[in-house]
Amino acid sequence: MANRFQRLLLGLALAGSAPLAVAQDDGPLGDIVGPDEERRSLSERDLDTENFEFGVFYGLMSVEDFGSNDIAGASLSYHVSEDFFLQANYGITETRETSYELLSGAVELLTEDQREYTYYNLSLGYNFLPGQIYLSENWSFNTSAYVIGGAGNTEFAGQEYFTYNLGAGFKLFATDWLAFDLGMRGHVFTHELFGREVEVNNLEARLGVSVFF
Amino acid sequence: MYSRRVLERSLPRWPGPSAAKKLISSLTAVLLTLFCLSAQADDPKVTVANTFIDVHTGPGRGYPVFYIIEKDEEITLEKRRTDWIKVTTRRGKSGWIHIDNLAHTQDASGQVPDIAAATQDDYLERRWEIGFATGDFDGADALSLNAGFRFTEHLTADLRLSQNTGQFSDSQILSVGLMHQPFPEWRVSPYFRLGTGQIRIEPSATLVEAEDREDNLFQTSLGTYVYLTRRFFLRLDATQHQILTSRDTNEEVIEWQIGFNVYF
Repeated sequence: MANRFQRLLLGLALAGSAPLAVAQDDGPLGDIVGPDEERRSLSERDLDTENFEFGVFYGLMSVEDFGSNDIAGASLSYHVSEDFFLQANYGITETRETSYELLSGAVELLTEDQREYTYYNLSLGYNFLPGQIYLSENWSFNTSAYVIGGAGNTEFAGQEYFTYNLGAGFKLFATDWLAFDLGMRGHVFTHELFGREVEVNNLEARLGVSVFF
Repeated sequence: MYSRRVLERSLPRWPGPSAAKKLISSLTAVLLTLFCLSAQADDPKVTVANTFIDVHTGPGRGYPVFYIIEKDEEITLEKRRTDWIKVTTRRGKSGWIHIDNLAHTQDASGQVPDIAAATQDDYLERRWEIGFATGDFDGADALSLNAGFRFTEHLTADLRLSQNTGQFSDSQILSVGLMHQPFPEWRVSPYFRLGTGQIRIEPSATLVEAEDREDNLFQTSLGTYVYLTRRFFLRLDATQHQILTSRDTNEEVIEWQIGFNVYF
């Protein structure tokens, strides 16, 4: 009899304690010691980065002995730091007859295909003189100047030439991600088109627009 | 009549759909696509914990400070460019703060954001790198582009594409290689590379009427990375090219390069 009574008490005690244990989980402590999965600090994945810049440009390029012509091209930059950026450029222009061809009237030094002048280069740029320009008292734009230099290849007159480029420019940021660029580039290479080796510096003036992404 | 012809030729030409114009129109389409992709939502928010933060008008230390975020003020992080973060305050002020300042902020869960400027240590954890180099390929001027994928701290597989422009011939090389860096954590970290690929040689048209030729080659390189700053490395490289020609003897060419690499 006593044995049976003990069992009943034990059973009741167990049954009573079980909901107590469950209640502990739902209690006020449960909210504080919550599951850990939610507690993730902000990481770089949460933030959009805009270190690449893609631009198009249009301008005038003077090809020594072959006249000044309109040039169009594209550029892709990667901004390594606020100071330095890497830039790849591609440009295309059509050259004109030399003065000799014009005066002689009949002589054609190059074929139509050979007159096409294309270049590409890989360059390193450095931003300096950051600042702002004001259009009115409360309306301003960020600006920056840069110098750039690099090496690349020019295809002209059916030949390829290793080409150095040096340049500088001025950038105006219309918004954070949209910039206008006024730049000059000099493209230096050596050719032997007229029999003798000559070093030429083909100057390019260009106006570009670019977006950061 | 003659002078008119000269005049016509010397006047600027405005051709209809020239190659240049076509390029411009197709590139404008690319620009527009990129613009649409850049739209974002759900920017993270942080609260300034224990100091004040200077807000610059642009992403650079030279742009003027126009606002100061005070303690307990909540800011929205919009985007990052190099080491600068664009933020907007509750009052709608928008500007750029330096990334180091995030160490003085807390996110919604009370933790400091795990966002910091890139260091050399990060390089060991990153997978991708890209760079370009210029140098001398047996008297020819060389320009090359390289992309690498890092398997482990020590091993990188890479792809190199180079264009060599010489007096007598031009050539292009495409190669794949495996690079070993025994001490990747050193600031000046040497490497050894083995590669294989193909070279395409085009003799100068003005000199000889010769045909283009393609040969296989092996590359053995010794070089070093020099860590400069952030994601930026200087790379010095000497490569010995063993060109397997169709003639009796193989050609051996030594190439010297200097270039820059960035990691992602």
